[in-house]
Amino acid sequence: MEGFIAELKDKIIETLGLTDVRPEDIPVDGQLIGSELGLDSIDVLELVMMIEKDYGVKIENREVGVKVFASLRALAAYIDANRREKDR
Amino acid sequence: MNGVRAFVCGTGIVSAAGEGVEATWGALRRGTSRLTPLALFPAAHTPPLPVGEVRDVPEVDGLPRTHALAWMAVRQVLAATTLTPDALVLGSTTGGMPTTERLLEAGERRPEAYRHHAVGSVAAWLARRLSCRGPVITVSTACSSGTAALKIALELIRCGQARVVLAGGADALCRMTYYGFHALQLIDPAGARPLDRDRRGLSVAEGAAFVLLVAAESPPVGALAELAGAGWSCDAYHPAAPRPDGTGALAAMRAALADAGMTPAALDYINLHGTGTPDNDLAEARAVRALCGDPPPVSSVKGLFGHTLGASGAIEAVVSALGIHRGFIPGNCGCRIPDTALGLLPELAGQSRPVRSVLSNSFGFGGNNASLVLTAPLSAGPARPPRPLARFSVLGTACLTGAGPLEETLARYWRGEPFSGRPDLAAVRTEIPAGQIRRLKRLSRMVLLLALAARQAARPPAAPGGIFFGTAWGSLTETHDFLKKLFDSGERFTSPTDFVGSVHNAPASQAAIFLEATGANVTVSGGDHSFEQALYTAGLVLRAGDPPALVIGAEEDHDVLSPCFDAAATADGGGAFLLDPRGGGTGPDLVPVHFAFNPGGDDGLPALIESLGGAARIAERFGAVFVGLPAGDRSGGEAQLERFRRETAFSSPVVDTRRFTGEFAGASAVAAVLAVETVRRGALPPALAGGEDPRLGGRGILLLGLGEFITAIEVSAP
Repeated sequence: MEGFIAELKDKIIETLGLTDVRPEDIPVDGQLIGSELGLDSIDVLELVMMIEKDYGVKIENREVGVKVFASLRALAAYIDANRREKDR
Repeated sequence: MNGVRAFVCGTGIVSAAGEGVEATWGALRRGTSRLTPLALFPAAHTPPLPVGEVRDVPEVDGLPRTHALAWMAVRQVLAATTLTPDALVLGSTTGGMPTTERLLEAGERRPEAYRHHAVGSVAAWLARRLSCRGPVITVSTACSSGTAALKIALELIRCGQARVVLAGGADALCRMTYYGFHALQLIDPAGARPLDRDRRGLSVAEGAAFVLLVAAESPPVGALAELAGAGWSCDAYHPAAPRPDGTGALAAMRAALADAGMTPAALDYINLHGTGTPDNDLAEARAVRALCGDPPPVSSVKGLFGHTLGASGAIEAVVSALGIHRGFIPGNCGCRIPDTALGLLPELAGQSRPVRSVLSNSFGFGGNNASLVLTAPLSAGPARPPRPLARFSVLGTACLTGAGPLEETLARYWRGEPFSGRPDLAAVRTEIPAGQIRRLKRLSRMVLLLALAARQAARPPAAPGGIFFGTAWGSLTETHDFLKKLFDSGERFTSPTDFVGSVHNAPASQAAIFLEATGANVTVSGGDHSFEQALYTAGLVLRAGDPPALVIGAEEDHDVLSPCFDAAATADGGGAFLLDPRGGGTGPDLVPVHFAFNPGGDDGLPALIESLGGAARIAERFGAVFVGLPAGDRSGGEAQLERFRRETAFSSPVVDTRRFTGEFAGASAVAAVLAVETVRRGALPPALAGGEDPRLGGRGILLLGLGEFITAIEVSAP
């Protein structure tokens, strides 16, 4: 899982153009949105697109989105679980 | 002279409810949704979402669908009147996009295929068809465009710039908006249910509506309603989401009522923006509750028509005028169980009852809010006395050119050297952290840098209230990137960020966020005269005593899209001014004098010379003319200039500004900045005086824009 989290950090930096952010600046367990990173609802949707495109996992409504984007660890776990479910 | 009023003396409308006022009226009375699954183009990867689609749009001269829809509405207005419009104002966001996106996908690269791409091309085409030779303005403030168009039309009448104005909005369904709103998760798969407990978003739709506004002291025969007032504001909060507390929306509603000389208690009905998105409806409900302790009946018609984007404000103005004329409040179609969290109960069913006054709201991306007050004729406050266009004193200037910012540009200019090219934005110093501007691509970044620099240049510092921005082509990088990702993925993926950034008003509304500019935020578009249009619009709406405003013209040169849209472009950049609408300050004054559509013709020259006070006054006031002759119609512009010289016998230097600014649609904004700096110095660069005396002799500079439009701006010496 830690390896996947590291991969997601790189994807987040690339997708959102966070040129002045290093992977270690992204909190794993803390709040992802509304943190010092300055991410907002449009960034969430941009990540939703990336996650569907790169991992085939859809996050289509707000209620699910709020839980999934609570932290990077929650996001990684959600993608991982749904990706596996799909593979089965 | 008594105050002049603006009466609605004709309407035309087309939407998913059909073509014409009677079809619309029937649909309003029945109150059943006209939303149907998308059929206009195949939806690639999901079941087609409900949309408001117009059936049987006729082919009109091979034009894009937006133009055809606009014509369907305009011809209804024309069929019912003997009046000829002397001005035209259109709100639109898509312009030629329905055609452009197909052409780009097919790899078409010939510029002639894109000649109706520009958002401003709809109004220009209509004006040609109607032989309109007055002000022709296109406002593109996303979903408030149609309402903003009526605001501008009202000010044209109040300023005596027009007597009969055709004003409205038009937008067509296209993949850009369909997939864009989908990517933002703002679409309700069940169809829009405004104010409903279970609402999940809007339904994208298309349509067009126009009103014929007539200036008169008392109602002309057949007047349906009066446009008594209009107001606008900017949230300066977020590029897409509304300010949650609704204070931006509230400011627009209050401004509209104050403009009409009315109180909230006098309202009989509020036509809500009511898109059906959870955030919009909540913020709007808060705003309405803050405006009226005991709100009048309210409803949204977007569950019926869908959200027709730039057309919606005009469609709802027609619905409101009908409601006043025929005594009817539309039901809030689509809402079954009102959301108690809103604290605002909509009228679920339509009802016949007298309606004397309506407030109609429209709010768009970038927090661009606008509201109208329509009343039964003569039921609002006293009419205002006519007033002239505002006269601006220049507080600060800024530009970006191939040479860089203002200082570097001036260094080359004083040496008489050209500075055409693309400014290197990365080299421009700014105190804003990179993370905060990471989402701003080229045009938005240029506009922000220009806005900050113009504010910085003011002595003493002054904060802008409003921002008026002119752009011919909008944010090309975002438009390109959005469509590329869409096509490359077989229409499966897009970028929500690029969609939000692609709207024409994105740059000005982003700048408003950084500058906390909560006044009017108006983006207009009209080819090579977009900056002149922005300054003219600012002159129409601002009054002495209003806070300073930024007026900006800028354009980006894009490797793929610019050769298609504006093949002559060789440069990009822009210019910006911080202006005080009081005029008469210590700096030079910038005065919009004339703005008229006159493609390739010189018959508008006498009116221009008259606006400037005649040949003798021109010679007395101006030590030089700076003329912009866009490559798109250079021969037409040269013929116009020749007639100007002949009829005025102007003998001081005439400077062809594009020779040093380079060729691009924002060049006139740069030329205006240089004209101001030249008047400050009191002399032209000797190399530009053509062997004549470069000194201005205490006089100002006349900025002429020729070609498709004939425009004049005075830069007067202090």
